[in-house]
Amino acid sequence: MKYKLLIVDDEEKMVKYLSKRLVIRGYNVRTAFSGQEALAAIKKNQFDVILLDIMMPGMDGIETLKEIKTIAPTTAVILLTGHASAKLDAEGRKWGAFDYILKPFDLNGLIEKIHLAHQHRCREHDSVAVYREVNAADPFD
Amino acid sequence: MAELKNREIAFIGKMTASITHEMRNVLAIIQESSGLMEDLIDLCQKTPFPYMDKMQDALTHIQGQVKRGVELTDRLNRFAHDSDETIKTIDLNDMVTHLAALSQRHARLKNVRLKAHSPGSAIWVKTSPIQLQMALFTGVECCLSLMATGGEIHLSPQGRGAKNLIHILCDGNDLEKIPFVESLFKSEKWATLKKLVECLGGSVAPDESARGIFIFLPKTNQSPPSV
Repeated sequence: MKYKLLIVDDEEKMVKYLSKRLVIRGYNVRTAFSGQEALAAIKKNQFDVILLDIMMPGMDGIETLKEIKTIAPTTAVILLTGHASAKLDAEGRKWGAFDYILKPFDLNGLIEKIHLAHQHRCREHDSVAVYREVNAADPFD
Repeated sequence: MAELKNREIAFIGKMTASITHEMRNVLAIIQESSGLMEDLIDLCQKTPFPYMDKMQDALTHIQGQVKRGVELTDRLNRFAHDSDETIKTIDLNDMVTHLAALSQRHARLKNVRLKAHSPGSAIWVKTSPIQLQMALFTGVECCLSLMATGGEIHLSPQGRGAKNLIHILCDGNDLEKIPFVESLFKSEKWATLKKLVECLGGSVAPDESARGIFIFLPKTNQSPPSV
């Protein structure tokens, strides 16, 4: 099964080439060039994994991430960044990012992260479903 | 005046760091566009076209240069961020390796290679990262000014006794033919090096037995910075 991906980055050319490469590999890819555009897409569609650039004009990656997590809490988000920093890693994880990857990235490395993020998402999804089931069946309710 | 100078350095650092982020994006576009071309060539394997292998070779070269560009922008970004704090706790081994990488091109103009040697365990010092790099670079320049074309310069940080030291050792052609210490003292860079290291609370001395320079720095008994 190939996942539904959303790539969010204001670097249009990068997004265009990357999405084509992922499509060649069978992924279902949507693109957005700003935080607002991404949120609009997430409200209309369900995505398995979102690749989200941190440094975007207007609504930056972290702000967008916070919004994504309120709209689609179990969707896995991988942050795209130019430079690694412990602060960024901590900030991203605090707001629910699964991981981050440095630009430019090796495509196989990115695909590996996408798989891990998807597995993580499935686990989160299952936990939420079990929680709902348990709560629905609570005899003391 | 010193505050203004620090602000100037911080400004240069901030601008440079910002540009390195843009450079990363440029490299990402080159990486993805050349990667896409590779993917398309792969899709054409059943119907090969003329010069296909040459195109593949060229794409491999592009990807290699992207890797090189990434390494350079990382170094430049780190260098730019070194000016974020005027004084900070650093690992001397790490700083020497970083400086050697940054100065490699400068040395290459004289066909000299810079080699950083690490003793293994970290040597933590609280110092001015920019001034320390200036001192190390000036030490390298001193050696380069005395060396003929070709050879190596070895940079070895060590924690020794009450002091930390960085040993800069020249290993070049025909070095034995020049009066090393005498020429070093006459060098314009030597006076600059002395001043820079004194600003860091340290001292310099020639290594008379092995054609090199010792940079002594005060031991600050610093523990590693918390992340």
